[in-house]
Amino acid sequence: MPDLWELSVEEIAARVRRREVSASEVLESCLARTAQVEPLIGAYLEIFENESRARAAEIDRRLAAGEDPGPLAGVPVALKDNLSLEGRAVTCGSRILAGYVAPYTATAVERLIAAGAVPVGRANMDEFAMGSSCENSAWQKTRNPWDLATVPGGSSGGPAAAVAAGSVPLSFGSDTGGSIRQPAALCGIVGVKPSYGRVSRYGLVAFASSLDQIGPFARDVRGAALGLQAIAGADPNDATSAEVPVADYLEGIEEGIAGLKVGVIREIDPSRLGGDVAANWRASLDRLTALGAELVEVSVPSVEAAIAVYYVIATSEASANLARFDGVRYGRRSPEADNLADLYFESRSEGFGPEVKRRIMLGTFALSSGYYEAYYGRARGVLERMRHELDAAFRTADLLATPTTPSTAFRLGEKVDDPLAMYLSDVFTTPASLTGLPALAVPSGTDANGLPLSLQILGRPFDEAGVLRAARAFERQMGWVVAPGFREAERV
Amino acid sequence: MALTHEDVRKIATLARLRFSAEEEERLAGQLAEIVDYIDQLQSFAGEAPAADAPGMREMADVPHECLPRERFLANAPASLDGFLLVPEVKGGGDA
Repeated sequence: MPDLWELSVEEIAARVRRREVSASEVLESCLARTAQVEPLIGAYLEIFENESRARAAEIDRRLAAGEDPGPLAGVPVALKDNLSLEGRAVTCGSRILAGYVAPYTATAVERLIAAGAVPVGRANMDEFAMGSSCENSAWQKTRNPWDLATVPGGSSGGPAAAVAAGSVPLSFGSDTGGSIRQPAALCGIVGVKPSYGRVSRYGLVAFASSLDQIGPFARDVRGAALGLQAIAGADPNDATSAEVPVADYLEGIEEGIAGLKVGVIREIDPSRLGGDVAANWRASLDRLTALGAELVEVSVPSVEAAIAVYYVIATSEASANLARFDGVRYGRRSPEADNLADLYFESRSEGFGPEVKRRIMLGTFALSSGYYEAYYGRARGVLERMRHELDAAFRTADLLATPTTPSTAFRLGEKVDDPLAMYLSDVFTTPASLTGLPALAVPSGTDANGLPLSLQILGRPFDEAGVLRAARAFERQMGWVVAPGFREAERV
Repeated sequence: MALTHEDVRKIATLARLRFSAEEEERLAGQLAEIVDYIDQLQSFAGEAPAADAPGMREMADVPHECLPRERFLANAPASLDGFLLVPEVKGGGDA
């Protein structure tokens, strides 16, 4: 018999709803597992022990009264430190938000709670979601459960490591250029970046508003589908959330991909990938073929410019979004300043860490007079071209497949002093962010050092169902990739 | 392209950030390296962006409840009689 913490999202919710186990028993098992692994991993900035126990007890009372708490009944979830839960701290991994308490709850979190989920803690992240290793957190390092000397990826490294270590079956992060998919890949789990507009961002601390999306992490595709189901759909509080109907993601998820056309981008040159990544990529394409998909070549020449476009667009938007942190309304105020202008300069200079400052500087540069057309204007133009090229690719292909990352988990400290090398980790994830497409990372095996590899699947706008179905077919063929020290529970 | 210390100081002022001489030195080098990388954009032909972003809609312009003042002010570094409190508005700021 597996421990309760080992069970999948679906299994936990099913057993709790059938009253075979209580939400409180599930929570205690997850809290005990967390206490065991957390000293090694450092995934959490805070654990909501009392509040989560009260919420689980409430779910059990409702079950006893004959009510159905919802499709995520009793499922413990971890939340990235940029998602608001009323009355709890939210710091976005930054000193500038030390002491800030969320005055309201994010729509996505409200929907999770309404579906019966139990938030158990606030998970670590790169400051303001800027980073690919979680090392830019102002608070602590998080380690990869597969190899404690390596990074969990970022920026949602905490939520990813929490799920990979078995502390929770489901967690939520945000993805602006790969911040869900890259840590999912490095931690050997499933991560979904939904289409732009699929999930409300109300209550998410903004980084780059034309790119940010909230999405789930789980150890299996069906768990990620259930997590996404709970948070998807339009919200009057976010004008960018789309009025597009939400499909039932589990319905048809087992139908496979026979007869579908999977596009392979010609401009992705396998010779530029690490040896194991290239070999695994070819093996993954063979698996898709074995599942009955037809591989078709598509051409998206602008992908070569994706990182350059991304680091102009995202930093420009960040420089504007982060202007609100000025020491006046909330967040850190410098005690040094004796006039308002100095208050802005000092509060921001003391409160933001080096990577955030670097990106604000880059974005301010790209938007500044004399450089705007050459950088921001040009990046917008190339982005538009990428959108058209991808539209054309999706007229030939039903889905696109790429590696999720150019390498497996790198060592703590390895890239921390080389910002550009860190940015290059996002080479495969930024195109879907820039063009608003749904994209998912699914484990595809391990490299020679036993570290996880990952396949990325992209779909047409709002075709999360198609992406999940393909990933589920791939996962079934592949078998679960299980982190060392993590006993494999019953498969669904 | 090379970024001079003068450029870095000008951008920092626009961004309301201050750096020590040592930080400025490091930042000038790092930003120049990143901007060099980004300069590859100049060799890609772009297209005119669409006038409106897809999927965007305007919010209905109707009055609705907003966050109660006391809950908002609970996060304020300083307030007085229900208002935000800031130091003197005159002076400072030229980096």
